This record gives sequence, C-alpha cells and structure tokens, in this order.
Amino acid sequence: MILHIEHVSKRYARPGKSRVALDDVSLELRRGQLIGIFGASGSGKTTLLRIAAGLEQPDSGVVSYNGERLDTMSAREQRRHRRREVGCIWTGQPWPAGLSVLEHVSLPLLIDGTDRTSAERRARASLLACEAEQCIGVEPRELSDGERQRVAIARALVSEPRLIVADGATSNLSLVEQEGIMLLLQSLAREAKVAVLITDTDASALLRADPILYLRDGRLTSVETVDEMGEVVYLPSAASRRVAPDG
Amino acid sequence: MSAKHALLGLLLHRSAYPYELADRLERHLGPAWAVNSGQLYQTMSRLEQDGLIERVDERQGARDDRHVFAITGEGVEEFERWFEGVSARARLSRRPLLVKITLAGPERLENALVQIDDYERDCAIQLKELAQRRDAVGVDGSRVRADHVLLRLNLSADIFQLEGELRWATHARQTVSWLLEEDVLWPSAQGRAEAASDRELERRGARAELFGRMSHTGLQAAPDPQDRGDGQDDGSSR
Repeated sequence: MILHIEHVSKRYARPGKSRVALDDVSLELRRGQLIGIFGASGSGKTTLLRIAAGLEQPDSGVVSYNGERLDTMSAREQRRHRRREVGCIWTGQPWPAGLSVLEHVSLPLLIDGTDRTSAERRARASLLACEAEQCIGVEPRELSDGERQRVAIARALVSEPRLIVADGATSNLSLVEQEGIMLLLQSLAREAKVAVLITDTDASALLRADPILYLRDGRLTSVETVDEMGEVVYLPSAASRRVAPDG
Repeated sequence: MSAKHALLGLLLHRSAYPYELADRLERHLGPAWAVNSGQLYQTMSRLEQDGLIERVDERQGARDDRHVFAITGEGVEEFERWFEGVSARARLSRRPLLVKITLAGPERLENALVQIDDYERDCAIQLKELAQRRDAVGVDGSRVRADHVLLRLNLSADIFQLEGELRWATHARQTVSWLLEEDVLWPSAQGRAEAASDRELERRGARAELFGRMSHTGLQAAPDPQDRGDGQDDGSSR
C-alpha cells in the first residue's frame, strides 16, 4: 500500500462561516493502480489531492505514505517527500514566466540539486516518453491544450515519483486528446508501477480508472462500474443501495 | 421501461377509455411515450389477464376500445411496489452509429461522416421541436398548475438528452474529420504497423526505459539496503 488515507476530514474556516471540504474520507492506493474520482466542482476533489500529495494537512485523520505517517515526518523529510515521491498535475497551473518548455520540465530536478546538464537530459527523456518532445523550443503560449497537458505530465514524471496526483487532467481536451492522456496515465500505472490518483468533473473521462469513486459534498462513495449484464453503469447511490439489498 | 406502470399510474388517477390513456400518456410524459393502438391493446390485455385492471361498464359485445377500464386492488399494489423500487441507475446506451464509426475502417469513414452529419441534423431538429413544445406548455392563469410544471420537466429530460447527443455528434464529426485528414495508423493495416516511424520507436524506447526504471524504484525502498543500486539518486546519506 503506497498511500493510505484514513478517516480524513478537512474544514475551511472563513469569518462567519465554515465549510466542510472533506468529511471522513478513507482511501487506499496501491502501486500500479489508477483510481479516478469524479464530482462537481467544490465537492472537495482538489483538497483531497492536496492532502494526498502532502501539500496540506487534514484537520483529523491520518495520511500514510509507504507505511509512514506524513504528519510525524520532520519538515525536512516532508519537503523531500514532496520533491521526490509525488508528482502533481494541476489544471490551469500558471506557467512560470520566462521559462522554456525544457526549463519548466527540468525545474523539479534543478530545485532538488541536480546539475543542469543531467536535469535537461532527463527532462528530454521524460518529454519523449510522454510524446511531447516536439514541444521543445515551442513558445509555451503556442502549445495546444493537449500538448500543455503532456508537458505537465512530463514535468510530474521527471523526478520519477511513485505517486502521481492529477486534478482534471483531461478537462477541456478533445476526445482524441483525452483518450491519449488517459492511455498515458494508464501505462504509467501499469508499466511504471506508479500509483495514480486522478479527478475530473466528468465520470466519462475516467473510464480507464479502476475503481471510479464519487465525491459529493466531501464524502466519498464507491461507484459500481459493471452491472449484472456486464454493462457499465454509474451508480452514485451505490452505498445507499447496499443498505437495502432487496432493491 | 414498458408503458405498463405508466398506464397503471394513469388509471390510479382516473378510470378511462383506452384511447384516452394513449392520449394522456403522450400529453403528460412527452413524445417518447407515444404508443400505437396495437401496442396499447397488447399491454392492456396483458394487464387485464394479470388481474391488474378490469372493465367497469356492463356493455356487452362492444369492441375493447369502447370499454372503460379501472385499476384493481392488485393493480394498486403492483403500482406501489414498483414505485418503491430502485430506479436510480443511469445506463449507458448502445449507439448503432458508434458501432458503424468504430468498425468503418478507413475505406468507409467518409460514409460514416455523412451519417454523423445526418444524425447531428436530426438531433438539432428534434431538439428545436421539443423546446418549442416545452415552451408552449401553459403558464398563464392565476395559479401554477402542477401537471404543467411536470410536463415541462418530462420534456426537459428528453431535451437534455438530445443536447448531450448533439454535443457528442458535433464531437464525432470533428474527430472523424480529423481522422480523415491526418495520416493516422489503422491497426487493421498490419504491414504498416511495422513501419512505425523513427520518432515513434524513439518514444517507445524512452518510455520503456523511464517506466522500467520507475517500476523498479520500489525495490530500492525494500528493507535490504545492500540491494540498492549505484545510489546516485539516494538522498538518505546525510
């Protein structure tokens, strides 16, 4: 078990009101697994990914990575964990001004102290593996949405992490590009044995994930993906249906 | 679903002649519920045989459509049982057009595009008709009528579905046009698969190397520290 999220809750306090972002969420993620979570915007998807990545602490509950609790790590260990073990893909992530594609992808390695030559060599290899090497030398603002997403994945991969979190990785993409990105994430899980946690507002974008989970108002429920006829169904009410077995 | 429970529900409100039922079905639930008289009598005679509905007038020898039908006690029970049951699962549908597109292959793709075009246009026409029909449902009068609100709701279900279909059809047209223009690899063309370009080979090689290395990083984290590789990326030495 690479990632273990146990009974995690998170509440955002604002003057006068507070909002529950996550409500007693538990989740287990193994290496080689691709888990998809769908839910409306504001359902807590991004908060869950940020907590899974160790970027944010839950109010209650425990997050363990490879058997080690994140909250008992020293600050230094936490930073190292985030740099080396976790790759993040955030939709709409602003592009750091003035950086070329190659520099952008190399950046995580440069921050981690790798020399420029080997950082760029590894960045090229990562871009090539993500079928985005043709973006090298292209002005960042001229990249298509699909290319930008592949560059973001190459960047998340460059430090060779064991956990990838992707927030809306296929949003705003055409069907062909969406399929390409999902195939890439799937082979990342299968071949590189990375644990991948991906969210989207749209369940249909996540059909390659297994299992597909549904997040609503900060609560996570499982979704049955195949019915008795062998056909795929979305069943947000799966949890409640199990309570009434005669249904 | 079949019209069986819808008919029982309508009869629960009021006994009726069959032709009235056909009319009410479509008027309350929308055009997807249009039934012809053959289908209607088939369903009704099955309901009658099952004892869920009965004739309540004494007219002898009249045709079936001249009788008033009412729901029986058993019919009410059946309706209540059905009403309590689960209806929450959303089902994906099998689209014949999608099968055609998928299996068209490069030689029939042009034809598939024409069919997508037709489908897209048909969705748009139906959508317009339904929207007009929904907007025509009366909202005047001093009090809002529940049945009018519900009919608008029923028509909305079809409208939303058609909007989704239309969106997909547009997407399909763009995607298939793109396939027609680009030099893509068709898996059925066996020979061409081997002639993958140098760039593709390079990409595959890079992926195999990177992913292969990543899939082994777990072994480095295994308990036995002697087993570690060259340790060049090992940050644990402090």
